[in-house]
Amino acid sequence: MKILLMGHPNVGKSAVFNRLTGAKVTESNYPGTTVDYTKGYMRLDGKDVEIIDVPGTFSLEPKDKAEEVAVKMLKENRDSIIICVIDSTKLERGLYLALEIIEEGYPCVVALNMWDVAEDKSIEIDVEKLEDILGVPVVPTIAVSGKGMKELVSRIKEASPVDTKKIVEKARGVA
Amino acid sequence: MRKKLSEMDYGEEGVIKSIEGKLRDKLAGMGIRVGKKLRMATKQPIKGPVVVAIDQYSISLGLGIADKIIVEVEK
Repeated sequence: MKILLMGHPNVGKSAVFNRLTGAKVTESNYPGTTVDYTKGYMRLDGKDVEIIDVPGTFSLEPKDKAEEVAVKMLKENRDSIIICVIDSTKLERGLYLALEIIEEGYPCVVALNMWDVAEDKSIEIDVEKLEDILGVPVVPTIAVSGKGMKELVSRIKEASPVDTKKIVEKARGVA
Repeated sequence: MRKKLSEMDYGEEGVIKSIEGKLRDKLAGMGIRVGKKLRMATKQPIKGPVVVAIDQYSISLGLGIADKIIVEVEK
C-alpha cells in the first residue's frame, strides 16, 4: 500500500509530507515548487508505509509536465490511498479535483489545509456536512504548525472508494 | 449586459454565462464555471493577462481565454 499526496499547486502538499515523514522537502511560498515527486516513509499502525509527494495538478487532464507526472503517478499506483490536500480558502476548485480522484475509484482522505488562513478570511466550512456528502474522512489541518496531522493519520484507514452517484444524491438533498 | 470577460472594466462585477466548449473542463479545475460570480481585478496593458477575483481568491487568465468567456455584467 502506498499513500499519495495530491492537490492543486500551492496548497501545502509538501508541508503535509514533511509533517508526516519528518523529511525536509523544499517548501516555498509560491506555486509549483514540486515538479518531480518525492518518496518517503511514515509509520502507520506499526508498519512503514511509502508516501509520495506528487506535484500539484488542477485536474486529471494534464496540461504541463508537472501535471503529467502527477497523473502518471496516480495511474501507476492503483492500489494507493490518496490524501487530497485542499486549500480551505479555495474549497470549490479543490473539491473538483477531489471528486475527480474519487470518481476514478481511489480511496481518499481530504485534508482541508490552511485552515487558519480560512479562519482569518472568515470562511466557514461545515466539515461534518462535507464529510457526510463526500462519504470520505475530511480533516481540517494546518500543516505548517502541525495541527490536525494526528487526526489525518488516524483517519487514513477509514478511506474507502465511494460511488460518485451517492455523492450527487446527497449533494442534491442538501441543496 | 453581456460582454466578453476580456472587455470588462476594472472593478466591474458579473456572472459567467457561457464558456467555449473546449475550455470548460480546463477552467472547471480552476474554479471557473458558468454561474460563478467574478470581479475584474486587474488588466495588464498590451494584450497582457487579466486578473479576476472569484470567491476569496484571484486568478489570472490569458487574453485568449478571457475572450472565450461571456459574462453578464451587473447594471
